[in-house]
Amino acid sequence: MKEKPNKHKKQGISYLFLSILLVFCVLGAIVYTISREISQKMSEAAIQNVSESLNLLQCTIEAILHSEIEFQTLIAQELAGQEDPEEFIRSYEKNRMMSRVSLILSGKTEGLSSNGEIFTEEELDFSAGRTVEGLPVSQSYVNYMGAWAYTIKCPIERAGQEIGTLYAEYLYDAIDEFLPNGFYNKQATLYIMDAGSTRFVLKPKGMGQRDAGHLNLADFYQVNDIRDTGIMAEIAQCLESGKNVLYYHDILDEEALNYVWPVNGGTVFLVGYVPVAAIQREGQIVNQNILFVVFSMLAAFFLCILLYYFSWRQQEKIRKERERERNIHSQQLAEALRAAQVASESKTMFLSNMSHDIRTPMNAVLGFATLLAADAENPDKVREYTGKIMASGQHLLSLINDILDVSKIESGKVILNYEKFSLSEVIASVEAIIQPMAQTRKQEFHLERTDIRHDWLIGDETRINQILINLLSNAVKYTPEGGRIWLRMIGLKQRSSQYEHIRIEVEDNGYGMTPEYLEKIFDAFTRAENSTTNKVQGTGLGMAITKSIVELMGGAIEVFSEVDKGTLFRVDVELRIMEGQEAPEAGESGPEPEEDGSLEGLHFLAAEDNEINAEILEELLEIDGASCMVVENGRLAVECFQQAAEGEFDAILMDVQMPVMNGHDAARAIRALDRADAGSVPIIAMTANAFSEDEKAALAAGMDAHVPKPLDMRILKRVVRQYVKRKD
Amino acid sequence: MKRPVKKRLLGCMAVCLTAFLVLSIPGCKGEESPHNLISRTEENERVVSMFSPMEKSGENAKNVARSASDLTIMMAEEELGVTVTYQTYTAENYQEKSYDDVALERARNDMDDLYLLNPDTLLALGAEGKLADLSGLDSAKNLREIIRTANTVNGKLIAIPQEVVAYGLFVNVDLFKQYDLKMPETPEEFLECCRVFKENGIETPIGANRWWLETFVFAQAYADLYNGGSTEAEIAALNSGEAKYSDYMRPGFTFLQELIERGYIDAGKARVSEAIEAEGPDFLAGKTPIVMAYWGAANTETAYGKTDFEMQVIGFPSSRGQMPVMPMIGFGVGIDAEHKEDALRVLDIMTSDEALQVYSEKNRVISPSKNVKVDCVPALRPLNDRIEEGVYVLGSNAGMKMEQWGNTCQVVRQLLDGATVDECMAAFDELQAETLSEKPVE
Repeated sequence: MKEKPNKHKKQGISYLFLSILLVFCVLGAIVYTISREISQKMSEAAIQNVSESLNLLQCTIEAILHSEIEFQTLIAQELAGQEDPEEFIRSYEKNRMMSRVSLILSGKTEGLSSNGEIFTEEELDFSAGRTVEGLPVSQSYVNYMGAWAYTIKCPIERAGQEIGTLYAEYLYDAIDEFLPNGFYNKQATLYIMDAGSTRFVLKPKGMGQRDAGHLNLADFYQVNDIRDTGIMAEIAQCLESGKNVLYYHDILDEEALNYVWPVNGGTVFLVGYVPVAAIQREGQIVNQNILFVVFSMLAAFFLCILLYYFSWRQQEKIRKERERERNIHSQQLAEALRAAQVASESKTMFLSNMSHDIRTPMNAVLGFATLLAADAENPDKVREYTGKIMASGQHLLSLINDILDVSKIESGKVILNYEKFSLSEVIASVEAIIQPMAQTRKQEFHLERTDIRHDWLIGDETRINQILINLLSNAVKYTPEGGRIWLRMIGLKQRSSQYEHIRIEVEDNGYGMTPEYLEKIFDAFTRAENSTTNKVQGTGLGMAITKSIVELMGGAIEVFSEVDKGTLFRVDVELRIMEGQEAPEAGESGPEPEEDGSLEGLHFLAAEDNEINAEILEELLEIDGASCMVVENGRLAVECFQQAAEGEFDAILMDVQMPVMNGHDAARAIRALDRADAGSVPIIAMTANAFSEDEKAALAAGMDAHVPKPLDMRILKRVVRQYVKRKD
Repeated sequence: MKRPVKKRLLGCMAVCLTAFLVLSIPGCKGEESPHNLISRTEENERVVSMFSPMEKSGENAKNVARSASDLTIMMAEEELGVTVTYQTYTAENYQEKSYDDVALERARNDMDDLYLLNPDTLLALGAEGKLADLSGLDSAKNLREIIRTANTVNGKLIAIPQEVVAYGLFVNVDLFKQYDLKMPETPEEFLECCRVFKENGIETPIGANRWWLETFVFAQAYADLYNGGSTEAEIAALNSGEAKYSDYMRPGFTFLQELIERGYIDAGKARVSEAIEAEGPDFLAGKTPIVMAYWGAANTETAYGKTDFEMQVIGFPSSRGQMPVMPMIGFGVGIDAEHKEDALRVLDIMTSDEALQVYSEKNRVISPSKNVKVDCVPALRPLNDRIEEGVYVLGSNAGMKMEQWGNTCQVVRQLLDGATVDECMAAFDELQAETLSEKPVE
């Protein structure tokens, strides 16, 4: 299933490339067609262009030839009028056009030249029969001046009778004077070729490369690598017929338009070539510019594609990143939802359990209270029922305490109270609690203590106690009768000399736990079994509280368990060693616990708005031989104390939450009274606000001690004894 | 934030300035009329016409020798602002006028301004007073003394070359090694080599043409005259008629006669063959072990510059060992040339040390300037070593009243045509008599 998007993506890219390729192919075809058409047009234009140029040159040379004929005819006419034509010839001076003139009178084979030499026609070759305006032209030759020349002969007629022949020798160099100084930007090569001998008789100035001096047509073919017999045959035919030939042939690897162009019907030929680049110079510049523009646009196009690609890749990267984040968020949300659902379920379960767990002892309390009312006359029954009511009440109290603990831990309000304590005492007190419980269930409880070097430590004794009690009471609960429970206090290697590294192991061979349950054992509101289906009582908060406390102390807790084999809890904590203590021997006792004091004869002022609680207090104090004056709120308490004689009350027991004036204000008011015992009379907070911050608030308001509700007479006695004694 | 704004401003200014410059360039063309679009630059074009030979070029190949000369001409054109136009002539066959014939006629009729002339033509024109005195040119001051002497006629320096032309024998070393032959020093050793080649199936060991066989004659004729310590006295004797050229020439002609008779030279072919054209292909193909040619042919791909075998250029056999033959060719300026002054200036630059350095480096030739020295190609070292030792004969010498290079060539042709050595010697005697009877042209 995952491959499908990739496949689609690849297909998409292929289609994109194919489309681009197609577009380029179409564009290429169009450009090719256009450029081919342009090339064809340019080629046609080049041919036309060269033809026109050659025609112009041809016409120029023909005009020269015609003017020569005209001039020669005039001389002939002049000669005809001369009495001594030979004298006229002798007097002729050569010029750059006509190098010499010669005369052979009719009937003679020898004549005279203007340079004074004897002249015969045998020196010249008129056999080819070429003429200009009907006058014979000789084959080209190198004359006495070392220059290529030709001779035209013209009859001299006097009175319609031919008296001789005038031979005029013309220099090819003279033609050069009338030709342009190069054509096609001096890149074209031009020779004037004698038709009969195919000798190159003139290379006009500025026409062609200076280092290429060709001898004749054969040399031209050879040097320029012209081997195409077809072309050569056509040229040969052209020489015969006097037609022109224009053909493409590369000269020195450069495309050139070669030509053989007759002048005067083939008396001489123009032979040479023009590089196509020279003809199409402007066109090529245009083409180059077009190409430049096309390539620039292509480059820009590909650059855009590249930029687009990079941008797309960047976007894709960001998109993927966001998608990944969204997935993580979704996952987190799903987990949170699941956790919330689990929590919700747990809390529902918890409420259900609590309902059951609270109702059960409540049922006992109410039930036994009913029985107590019925059997009030029977002291044995009364004692039995009250004992059971007490047990149920205690259980209810522990339930409430646990719930409050969890609430505090979850809201981060738990503060550890570091005080010195004796580990031995803690162990002893725990043993004192657990041993009877284990005995009740016929279980063996073993206590082991090894390698702990210091007994007096600093830490929250209450919480350590709580950890041990939680773990051990669980062990007792979840171990069947006759089972065994171990508490091991092991001293680990100290990481710091100031801290004792202690491992606490609580092991049992009880029911054990399933791996699934182990995963959530430390979650709040969970319990191995639903309390409605299990006879084991508990809030399910114990382990969560234990773990939180351990972690609050900077320690760690682990659990190992197998169903029907047992469970091992392992807690590692570091506790500060009390200074000045030299590793006391194990079992050394600390300060002796204070005994509960007697309340005999003491008279209290109690502020309590709840009548039942007030009654209970009065009764309990009365049982212990003390008396009590109860008022309903703080104001009355203040007034009562104010009106009482000094020392009348041994202590004031102050509820906190009361109408009219609360306990804190009342305490402050009493302390503020202007009487001698206002500052010294012990004020003991007695409230259901049982948290440590409540205690602090009470002390801050001027009270001396804090005793939580439900009232534990032992605690009250100890506190009263402490303050009354101090007062004494 | 201020910096980018400033930069942008500078950028805009730069663009504007560039645009202004580009637009203003057409306006700086000079004093052209704003309405007439025709350029006037060509109207005052100065032209110098140069007549020089043109070697036939190979297919699609540039003529290297001409290219080197071109470089110096371009230097002159650039410096003087003149245009040098080339005129050339090449005979199609032996029956036509030769380059020298045409050069003579053109010079006599002032057809061109600047001529590249062979020794005989040079001396002939010099004797006729048709060439301008070049001794006033700056470049003349740098000439080696031998060059100056060989080109001085009637006290006038009539030509300055761009290279010292030395003729030698171009030999196929591979073939010599194949037949275990040493490089010949004397005529006898040379004949022995030819015998061995002939016996081993090489029908004509020496490739010859109608122009350069005279070099064999000069080597034997003047080996002692130029290297014996009495050069001036011997030349004086010849000029006065006390000594006869025929006496000097006889051994060389006898030697040539022997080469012809033994079939080492194909006389029939040689007398109608143009230089390199006829014998070149067989030499390059390894069929002919020996040809004669000038120094530059060893550097020119169109001649013998690129062979498939090991080639060496050695001197001609003589009683004094291998003997280079050095005729003096050079550029002369027509005394009545239409553009004489420009031609002189062009020649001055073409033969300046700077130009000759370029020319010599390009062609790897011996420079006529005493200030320019260039290493030669390895094949030329044997010939170069002899020249550096001062051992050579001159193929032409303006100090000799009788022209050497052209006349000897003509007489050798008579030998090729079947004349005897005695007849050839008689021709020399006749030429010497004619020369001595001529009055010098002032």
